Amino acid sequence: MKKKKQIKKKIFFPPMSFSYEGTQATKTGTWRYLTPTYIDKLAPCNEACPAGEDIEASMVLASQEDYLGAWEKITQENPLPRVCGRVCFHPCEGACNRKEFDEATSINALERFLGDHAFQAGRRFAPKEEKKNEKAAIIGSGPAGLSCAYHLALMGYGVTLFEAQPKLGGILRYGIPSYRLPKNVLDQEIDNILSLGVKAKTSTRVGIEVKWEELKKFDAVFVAAGAWNSLPLNIPGEDAPGVMSGLEFLRKVNSGQTVDLGKRVAIIGGGNTAMDAARSALRLGAKPLIIYRRTKEEMPAWEEEVAETEEENIELIFLSSPVKILTENGKVRGIECLKNLLGAPGKDGRREPKPITGSNFSLPVDSIISAIGEVPDFSFLPGELRKSRGSLPVNETGATALPGVFAGGDIVAQPRTVSYAIGSGKRAAMAIDATLRGRDVAEALRAARLGEKGSLSMARYKKGGADGLAREAVKFSQLNAAYFKRQPRQPKEKLPFSQRNTGFSEVNLGLSRASAIYEAKRCFNCGVCNLCHNCFIYCPDLAISARPDKLGYNINYDYCKGCCICVEECPRGAISVEVRK
Amino acid sequence: MKKLLTGNSAVSHGVMLSRVEVISAYPITPQTTIVEELSEICADGRMNAKFIRVESEHSAMACVAAASATGARVFTATSSHGLAYMHEMLHWASGTRLPVVMVNANRAIGSPWNIWCEQGDSLAQRDTGWLQLYCQSAQEALDTVIQAYRIAEEILLPVMVLVDGFFLSHTAEPVDVPDQNRVDRFLPPFRPRYKLTPEDPHTFNIMADPSLFISFRHEAQKAMESSKKVVGRVDREYKSFFGRGYGLFEKFRCNDAEVILLTMGTAASTAREVIDAYRQQGKKVGLCRLRMFRPFPVEELVKFLSGKKKVAVLDRDNSLGGGGIVAQELKAALYRAARKPKVFEFIAGLGGQDITPETIQGIIEITLNNSNPAGVPIWVGVQK
Repeated sequence: MKKKKQIKKKIFFPPMSFSYEGTQATKTGTWRYLTPTYIDKLAPCNEACPAGEDIEASMVLASQEDYLGAWEKITQENPLPRVCGRVCFHPCEGACNRKEFDEATSINALERFLGDHAFQAGRRFAPKEEKKNEKAAIIGSGPAGLSCAYHLALMGYGVTLFEAQPKLGGILRYGIPSYRLPKNVLDQEIDNILSLGVKAKTSTRVGIEVKWEELKKFDAVFVAAGAWNSLPLNIPGEDAPGVMSGLEFLRKVNSGQTVDLGKRVAIIGGGNTAMDAARSALRLGAKPLIIYRRTKEEMPAWEEEVAETEEENIELIFLSSPVKILTENGKVRGIECLKNLLGAPGKDGRREPKPITGSNFSLPVDSIISAIGEVPDFSFLPGELRKSRGSLPVNETGATALPGVFAGGDIVAQPRTVSYAIGSGKRAAMAIDATLRGRDVAEALRAARLGEKGSLSMARYKKGGADGLAREAVKFSQLNAAYFKRQPRQPKEKLPFSQRNTGFSEVNLGLSRASAIYEAKRCFNCGVCNLCHNCFIYCPDLAISARPDKLGYNINYDYCKGCCICVEECPRGAISVEVRK
Repeated sequence: MKKLLTGNSAVSHGVMLSRVEVISAYPITPQTTIVEELSEICADGRMNAKFIRVESEHSAMACVAAASATGARVFTATSSHGLAYMHEMLHWASGTRLPVVMVNANRAIGSPWNIWCEQGDSLAQRDTGWLQLYCQSAQEALDTVIQAYRIAEEILLPVMVLVDGFFLSHTAEPVDVPDQNRVDRFLPPFRPRYKLTPEDPHTFNIMADPSLFISFRHEAQKAMESSKKVVGRVDREYKSFFGRGYGLFEKFRCNDAEVILLTMGTAASTAREVIDAYRQQGKKVGLCRLRMFRPFPVEELVKFLSGKKKVAVLDRDNSLGGGGIVAQELKAALYRAARKPKVFEFIAGLGGQDITPETIQGIIEITLNNSNPAGVPIWVGVQK
């Protein structure tokens, strides 16, 4: 059966195939089983900072030349950026992912730059208007005490600092020499904290000028009296004039008192106190000689301090232990030592020195500074807390056995550093606030944790921890290093050696503005979206768009088909993948 | 203005004069100096074009095709393995009806390794929907690039301009570089009817089902067929502007010729000398240089060759198991001719072997002295 062909109207036929509508008609989101989402992670520097600073966020602001904004980020957590920017041993840089790429970002020097810049720009802390009724007493005005005072004052509490010495600052003033931390910088940082309404009673020893019972009128007490008792050498001749402890020597030098060291001074010990004592002695015109019982490998002093000590041509004698102080007419004239060999590793993993019998040798010296360690003094504490030795026991919230009494800094068992002290002061402020507000202290502190290393964030504490941020720190392997170019770290400017042995001028000169921006831009911003646009550029479905508030990007899940190219191409691991079936 | 230019440099000048907007290429000998010079021209601002570096020829073609889809005038260049690597994208460019212009410096495809002249690389792409124009001189290369944009943008098909590797790409000769203003008048800016733009979103190359696919192919075929007229018209117009034209194929001393030597590319220059020598001896020999291989000018060649006694086809290529590709096409075309000449097939000059006057003389001798072809192509220059 033949059908008559229908006459078709000639229709327009385009040269090539194209859709009448745009691609939006095809909702490719229905194909998706992997879902990328923006989840900011924890930068390893933030996790490693014992003071709990949001380093990553301040780096972003600094790289945009918003130095005051960066300073605010830091001081939200730590009131002493100018101090820390000079003396902190910067575990942040040790954790920096960039060191697996070329060299760690110069975070410490940048902190100093930001602190100095904000001070020069006239920025000061703003006192809290709303005051609370409760008051806290803080024993000791070192970094732990100052940190606690700052945070409590910002939360509206009345704070009184009790300081045994004539001036505030504790170890910052009387332990750390001014060539590392100039006194005017310290004074300015302390004045800033005091401007928040913090009261200070100096030359006031708890237990003597003020009785422990008198502190009961305070609602909470923070004990941060440090560790000021030097360990004895336990060798003959130790009591001779011309033998002194490292901290005693440093306290005198830092108080402006004259100390007669003679020509040649032996410093016993390999820690930071020993380095500070030796370098201070050099500046007083003496010829210092450090005697350490193990080798350079085992020295507990920070690497930078040892390096600067060596730069200053200070003599170090290793594998030697003093056995006797030689005196003449009751005065020091020399020191007798034994040579050591290194034996098996001890409890702390360092190899133990073993004396070699008969290897005695003596060195002529005019004075001796003993810096083999310090222990806290518990004599001012009430009976329940008084101990004979060791450190003051506290639980994970910093609370002692006495209700309402917290402790931190060098008096408790934690690494004896400024940043750990600052962190413990902040922890005490949080614990005191939580206690006084009737909250579950342990829970409140858990919510403020930054990562796995115990650092606490005041920003998180104030938000109650519900900021949705992941706790895990970003590893280098989670970054896309293809987007970073190798850039050498800017060296810190230093005072030439010729100008170091004549006075206490600051050795480290910090970073120039140009170097500071350069370093801030070197920061990978691990784990946090910094609006680099890579996800937007790579999304093959145009499903990613910049948020109107410029705080990040939106993913249009109607079109995101879950290829997760954005996740792969995010240089800093700020996008996570969820699997949805 | 007269300048001493290599073939590749003449191409670069042609691209610059054509005001190309996007260039993307991957280097490969003997093409490299084309895009090398263009990258410098872009860098120093003589040309306002985006030069996109890519990791492969496949990407280079994808890149220029995409740019062309947005309405930009685009250019790329390649050779041999690079062209082979582009193969898939050549189909996409023509299927999307994009007026891409590409120069291919003809070079043998390995293996074994060889970087020298052979036309097998581009002839192997004859089915990809691209026009193919083979040049003989640096001047023609420059002129053809400019013409190619006019042709491509009118018929919406991509154009491949071919220059013999080294023989043309790397030898210098005086070239008349036209004035930019005159080129601008000859070649106005590209105004596409269809383009990708966010203002009017469309998807190009959506799937065509079996009921439609053949129609798209048919549209492209019609465009190919119509392009012969366009190539001729553009060439005549070019001649009126600049005094030079080349046609679909060039005839040399063919008027009363009984035997025609047919070839493409630079071998034709050599052949002219040999033809002149035969003419001096009174032999009725002529030369036909085929310029346009795709579309194959079937009617035009049939008309021209009808009544000739013999055609000797010199192929600088070979389809393994088939024979010379130009000869195959010619034989198929002549099938419709009422008075067919006899076709003598020769394969010579593969992998850069010189085609000398003696080579051509030998080919003509065989053609003159035998009343019938051998039946299979004769290979010239094979080691005995």
